[in-house]
Amino acid sequence: MSYCVHCGVELDPSLKKCPLCSTPVLDPNNIPYFEASSPYPSQKGKVEPVRRKDAAIFVSILLLTISITCGLLNRLVFSRNLWSLLVIGFCLVIWVICIPFIFYRKLSPYLAVLLDGLSISFYLYLISRLTGSADWLYYLGLPIVALFTLLLEAFMLLIMKINHSFFSVTLYIFSLIPLSCIGIELLCRNFLESPLRITWSAIVLTVCVVFIIAIVTIILLPRVREEARRRLHF
Amino acid sequence: MRQNKHAKKPVRTTWYKLDLSAIVYPTLQRRDFSSVYRLSVLLKEPVKPDILQTAVDKTLPRFPTYKSAIRKGLFWRYLEPNNRPGPFVQRDINNPCMPMPFKANNRYLLRIYYYDCRISLEAHHSLGDGTGGMYLLQTITAQYLRELGASIKCGGFVLDIHEEPDPGELEDAYMRYSNANVRPPRPSEKTYRVRGTKEPFYTLNIINGILSSTEVKNVAKQYHVTITEYLNAVLLYALLEKQESEKPLKRLPVRIAMPVNLRRFFPSKTLRNFITMIYPSVDPRLGEYSFEEIVLHVHNYMQYYINEKFLRGDITTNAATQRHPLIRIVPLFLKDFVVRLFYTRVQDKNSSAGLTNMGALKVPEDMVPYLERFDICMGQPFSRRTNCAIISFQDTLTIGFASSIKEADVERYFFRRLIRDGIHVTIESNRETS
Repeated sequence: MSYCVHCGVELDPSLKKCPLCSTPVLDPNNIPYFEASSPYPSQKGKVEPVRRKDAAIFVSILLLTISITCGLLNRLVFSRNLWSLLVIGFCLVIWVICIPFIFYRKLSPYLAVLLDGLSISFYLYLISRLTGSADWLYYLGLPIVALFTLLLEAFMLLIMKINHSFFSVTLYIFSLIPLSCIGIELLCRNFLESPLRITWSAIVLTVCVVFIIAIVTIILLPRVREEARRRLHF
Repeated sequence: MRQNKHAKKPVRTTWYKLDLSAIVYPTLQRRDFSSVYRLSVLLKEPVKPDILQTAVDKTLPRFPTYKSAIRKGLFWRYLEPNNRPGPFVQRDINNPCMPMPFKANNRYLLRIYYYDCRISLEAHHSLGDGTGGMYLLQTITAQYLRELGASIKCGGFVLDIHEEPDPGELEDAYMRYSNANVRPPRPSEKTYRVRGTKEPFYTLNIINGILSSTEVKNVAKQYHVTITEYLNAVLLYALLEKQESEKPLKRLPVRIAMPVNLRRFFPSKTLRNFITMIYPSVDPRLGEYSFEEIVLHVHNYMQYYINEKFLRGDITTNAATQRHPLIRIVPLFLKDFVVRLFYTRVQDKNSSAGLTNMGALKVPEDMVPYLERFDICMGQPFSRRTNCAIISFQDTLTIGFASSIKEADVERYFFRRLIRDGIHVTIESNRETS
């Protein structure tokens, strides 16, 4: 039987410290006293993951039904061109986007974004097949999708591996916006066969650089950072 | 066989509206929080899990509102009978009252654990209050002991499992008694809030104090108050001490949220929620309170508020919101949003700690020799604070503190006060003390 010397409470034989004041139990005459078993189990419980099977089945059936009915409508009634490919492709894109949310939550986010990029590229390819024009696809559509996929992957990498504080995330956003704008402008100019230089994206770049410098200053000066964090909390 | 395969499934006609209190609890559900409470009984022999499972399987159909799953409607949630397999008894864990997602555990909002000599029942508050849970726990325990050969008569908290459930047990008793002509306003004042370091997810710190009921009763008698009033005063004192220790620039009133069992005042057999909150408080801005003054203040408050008239007014205020036609037609997701906002901005800031007293438990005479004591845990607090729950059986009074913060200051001030009043306290805890 041990008592806490500070609190005066009797302690259960399994306790090595007083849970109220953290004073250790010291009994020089009876060292192996700590062998007593605790009235509480040591194993920790975890919440059972929720099954999302129903939602997955529902979304798949819904998208599949839309695709099949539109396909049949295209084949049997409005059969002038293959317009149903657009609807089917769109359903496929939605399904692929839904994968990490309702089908397989353990899917790596990098892989999820890559799959999204691939599905959108495939959708653009379907449009080009339907319209019979391929130039815009190879010089504009696919490069822009690839650019955004790459930037999104970079954004996730920065958030997950480097830092995800409020100011860091803002910094990443302001760094990636001008990159995407410059990319879009250069690709458009290339497609239109204009000289490769930047105009409107230069303005975006300038504004973003101002923000980037301001944020970097805030991050580097702890006093300013704390002040800004206090004032901007939401 | 073939006939069975093609037999029509019976049309489900049974479902239950959530009672007035139960409406709020699912709204507050978060990834790391559920309104779950735990009641435990300590037997004199180690628990046999297979026999316990048999007892649970036989008992649960007698409690249709507990053998149910929660579902979302367009305007309100509701309970529907759950015939999925389970709930299965499981070995106890170190972190009780962990969140209870509605779709997990085969949609049961119940968990039954065993550890050594202890049987624990965890239930979501939307199914019922502690009294309802106690009926279930004691009926399961009685059935468990019967399976082992004991002869235990029904009565008190032990219901006859062969009987059909009484409609009165399933009713929303609030609706029957919320008929006062006036709706007193709810108290809402910013109160002192315990600040502490948040423990990581999946941690609930429990400190159980085991006392002698007679000793506590004698001390309470010296102050001319009841056990509940005395322990309330001790908790207010502990919170005041905690606030003082933080050397605040601006002191705030300390207030306890205490559920009152309305069955004491309004006859009802319901096994669902039938409680209302009262808020004993002390305002240190008015001056320094001695412990005797706090005790007297709590005593006067309780005498003034805990009576049939005031409580009827209180439940009428609460029911008026639910009955309002405009509120009724608002879709559930909007209601959820508003209720959550109200709870976090107003209700949660309205009290510094929670305290509940289940009182002295009565069990059938034949069951007494098999039982050691009862434990209670009010569950994880919504914000960073500590909740206190009291239960007594024979001469053992258990005070269980549950918190998800590292510091145990309130508990320390609380138990030290009891020691100073000459009460012997034994402490048990699941805190990491190595």
